[in-house]
Amino acid sequence: MSFIQWIFLFGGLAVAGPVIAHLLAKPRFRRLPFTMLRFLYDGQIESRSRKKLRDLLILLFRCAIIVLIAMLFARPILHTKSKPQQTRSVYCLGLDNSMSMAYTDGTESYFDKLIDSAIDYIRSAKTDALFNICALASGDWSQGLSKEQALAEVKALKIETGSANVNDFISSLNRVSRSEHLDDEVSVLVLSDFTPNILKQFVETEKPAVVDKMDYRLIISPEPVNNAAIIDAHVVSVIDGKLTANVTVANYGRVKQNRWLTARTGENKSAPIDINLFAQQRRTFQIQIRVDIAGPEQFFLPVELSLSNGDGLKEDDTFYMGVYGPGHKNVNVLLAGNGADEMFLLKTVMDTISRKSSYDTLQIKQILIDDFALSDLKWADVVICSAVAERLANFASNIEGFIKAGGRLICFVKETAATEAARQLWQREVLAALPGKCIHERTYMQPNPCDSRAFGVENIAARSLSNYRIDKILLEGYLECQQHPDSKCLWQFQNGLGFVYLKRLGIGVSILVNTSVDDSLGSLTKSNASVAFCLYLLGKENQIGEYCFARNEQVVLPLSEKQTSFAAQKQSWVQTCNGIKRRAAVADSFLLISDPGGTGWIKTLGKPTMWAGINLPEGETDMTKPVASELADIMNRAFPTGTERTVSAAEVLNNRKRTPIWKYFAWMIILLLLAEPAVANRLKR
Amino acid sequence: MYICPNSLNRDVLKREFSWEFICRGKTVKHNRKYLDPIFLSKLANMDLVARCAVEGFFSGLHPSPFHGFSVEYSDHREYHLGDELKFVDWKVFGRSDKLYIKQFQQETNTTAYILLDTSKSMSFAGDGRVRKIDYGSFLAAALSYLMLSQSDSTSLILFAEKVIKNIPPRSKRTHLNTILAALQYNRPEGRTNLAGVLHTIAETTKRRGLIILISDLLDDEGDIYKGLAHLKFLKHDVIVFHTMDHQELNLDYEGLIQFEDLESRAKVRAFPQSLREDYRGRVAEFLDDLEKTTGKSNIDYCLLDTSEPLDRALIAYLAKRKRMM
Repeated sequence: MSFIQWIFLFGGLAVAGPVIAHLLAKPRFRRLPFTMLRFLYDGQIESRSRKKLRDLLILLFRCAIIVLIAMLFARPILHTKSKPQQTRSVYCLGLDNSMSMAYTDGTESYFDKLIDSAIDYIRSAKTDALFNICALASGDWSQGLSKEQALAEVKALKIETGSANVNDFISSLNRVSRSEHLDDEVSVLVLSDFTPNILKQFVETEKPAVVDKMDYRLIISPEPVNNAAIIDAHVVSVIDGKLTANVTVANYGRVKQNRWLTARTGENKSAPIDINLFAQQRRTFQIQIRVDIAGPEQFFLPVELSLSNGDGLKEDDTFYMGVYGPGHKNVNVLLAGNGADEMFLLKTVMDTISRKSSYDTLQIKQILIDDFALSDLKWADVVICSAVAERLANFASNIEGFIKAGGRLICFVKETAATEAARQLWQREVLAALPGKCIHERTYMQPNPCDSRAFGVENIAARSLSNYRIDKILLEGYLECQQHPDSKCLWQFQNGLGFVYLKRLGIGVSILVNTSVDDSLGSLTKSNASVAFCLYLLGKENQIGEYCFARNEQVVLPLSEKQTSFAAQKQSWVQTCNGIKRRAAVADSFLLISDPGGTGWIKTLGKPTMWAGINLPEGETDMTKPVASELADIMNRAFPTGTERTVSAAEVLNNRKRTPIWKYFAWMIILLLLAEPAVANRLKR
Repeated sequence: MYICPNSLNRDVLKREFSWEFICRGKTVKHNRKYLDPIFLSKLANMDLVARCAVEGFFSGLHPSPFHGFSVEYSDHREYHLGDELKFVDWKVFGRSDKLYIKQFQQETNTTAYILLDTSKSMSFAGDGRVRKIDYGSFLAAALSYLMLSQSDSTSLILFAEKVIKNIPPRSKRTHLNTILAALQYNRPEGRTNLAGVLHTIAETTKRRGLIILISDLLDDEGDIYKGLAHLKFLKHDVIVFHTMDHQELNLDYEGLIQFEDLESRAKVRAFPQSLREDYRGRVAEFLDDLEKTTGKSNIDYCLLDTSEPLDRALIAYLAKRKRMM
């Protein structure tokens, strides 16, 4: 007998309850003065023994009920030896239906050859044989098939756009040969082109599958391999309505390639580029294409790169790429401090960032915080205050509206916080944390932020901050802050207190940095990490990017701040490569799609439409033929034969018939529950 | 009879009788009510208890066969000088012209010793009704009243482990007050040592008389028999009033009970329902033994259930008294 949820067996310890109660409980009785005790004594002995018996029986009943309930929850299973069966022949077929099998040498494709070979193999097998067929690319298993069923299954097999997954096949084969068909003769047949990608997986197999008989068929063409593929592409720039991209093309075959490379987006098509590649050569070509971009707005483009026909496998001649252009943006940054000296370092950092950014233009304006005016607020996109100054109390409602409309407020703190201003901003839920009393205690920052993919901050900058050894920067003190329930502590000091707090308000954010910009508390803005830290606070950098993923990767699309707030409220839908509309998960500021559904385009269905290209994994279409002797060695190691299949105790148990018996336990509990009061009352008489 | 209303507990009397009855002193229709121990227990005054019990008892009887056994005519003899003239039978002198003295039989009044057990076990009252000591006290009071009204000398001996109070025999009517006061202010204490007390009384009693033992007899049976035999040996007439509570006889309790002995403080925990049959058998056997043994010794044995009226006891006493004449 075994238990599925054995953890519940610990519930059996609850029997200690009734046992302790039995030991500690005093019987409830009535005291009565009496005279004729001598006439009671003889009967009393009998009564007491009966009472003890009753108590003991009731205790046993209750303990049994508790133990049985615990066992019931643990879901017991009875293992009985299954009836001996006659030895049968079981054939396990691993059929490679990955994309490389679509290669054709002019007569027929590898896949057609594979199907023919598999059909011949099945027909030659014994009549009563069982077939288990595994499609290596999709990982689908069809088990316990008869000869006719196996033939139908093979004929219905189709090519998948992914790579073959050998590990799943071998682990499943292990299970089949060691448990389900322990007494049967298990033969395995692998039909594949054995590309380097597949061979590598066989070599890296940790646990080989022991079988009685192993066979493999190398499905290749006798002719030299003729195949080139686009394996990677990167956008270089989008200037003056022209998109420039670097495209890497590889010749996987033995035949010299002379092809044309073209790019296309929408109606626009680039001029073809002549490509010449020798055998096994890989080169990067730059291609330009006109794109229709209106104004400085951000854009998302699907860009398709393709090679002209001319090799045996056309599926890898196309490369899909989603291109993101941020659009030019003027960002007005208002620096409000108590003096020019105080904000000097910060202004220098901002100037540096402004020069570095290729798409955003940072307009920086420095004012005294005591001169803070409504017009400044209207002008600014980002307001950086050196402290929560008294002046801000006058503009609390304006600051609230500023953030809700998408503004960004970054407040540093000072030892002497203006309590009235802080209180008013706190009441309007503008501040992410309420600064309290100053603690003059030297402290350090944690090397890493609490949330490395947090919304509203530049996560790449956060990672780069770690390189500046910011945990070595000594801070002279900090304020004791009360965190707002809706805010998030993004970064902590090493003592566990909050360092950077962020709160979303409308579509804007408010950030409170628990240190100062001058010397009074912090040294951060004076350190080498100041640029990275300010980038971190300013949020995402506005730069061009491309989204292209391999077929077996999870698609991750970054969302803008507006999109994030929108997606958090509403469900986000995408259309996958096979045209199916699916719901996509939103995590922090990213859109996650686990199954893209083939190669091609994934696009979001909301506005603006984002594109991501899904391509074949690199190396999948590397058609280099294996060396026969090496292949034999690898296959013999992956599927050893001639040795007795070792069976562990657990596997022997698995071979047994398993009968769930919890319903019997349930009946026993019901019976005991009924019997317990009956026994108690019967013995009381 | 007339009962002074002032001497009664007015509340009790109003509840139990009509005011008319009390003022006119007439007997009530249901005179057994006077003998009911529960009723008697509500009367605060022991004198009243005795009166109610005895007169209630007599009001229910037919013309009494027990009247006038105090002074009886015996014989005539010739008058001698010095005889009192008041005893001269003048009727005989008128017929025969000779002086004869009317001779009376000597007074037949006896001495009664009422032995009341006041051990702690007598304080038992099953179902919270009448305690055995109260029942015994009512009985002793009623008997004392009865005896003294017949000019019998009456003694009251209260005992537990030993004799606690010994009121010597007197026949004056005022002696009743002494006895009743002793009964009223008596408190049950101590363990029972019935045999020892009986031996003591047998040794200290000078005159033969009627020994009335009121007790629950919770002592060693053999010792009790020996004590009673000692009294019989000294030619005493003995009546044993065995007072038992209804629960002592029947054990009609339910549920788990810890019985605690009133005298020894011993404890027994039991379900009475499981013991009841055996208990009743053992008690019946005990009572049978008592009855047989006392019968053999010519001792009157009367088992009294405290839930029953007192008349059985009074009848037993009068029957015994008649046999003594």
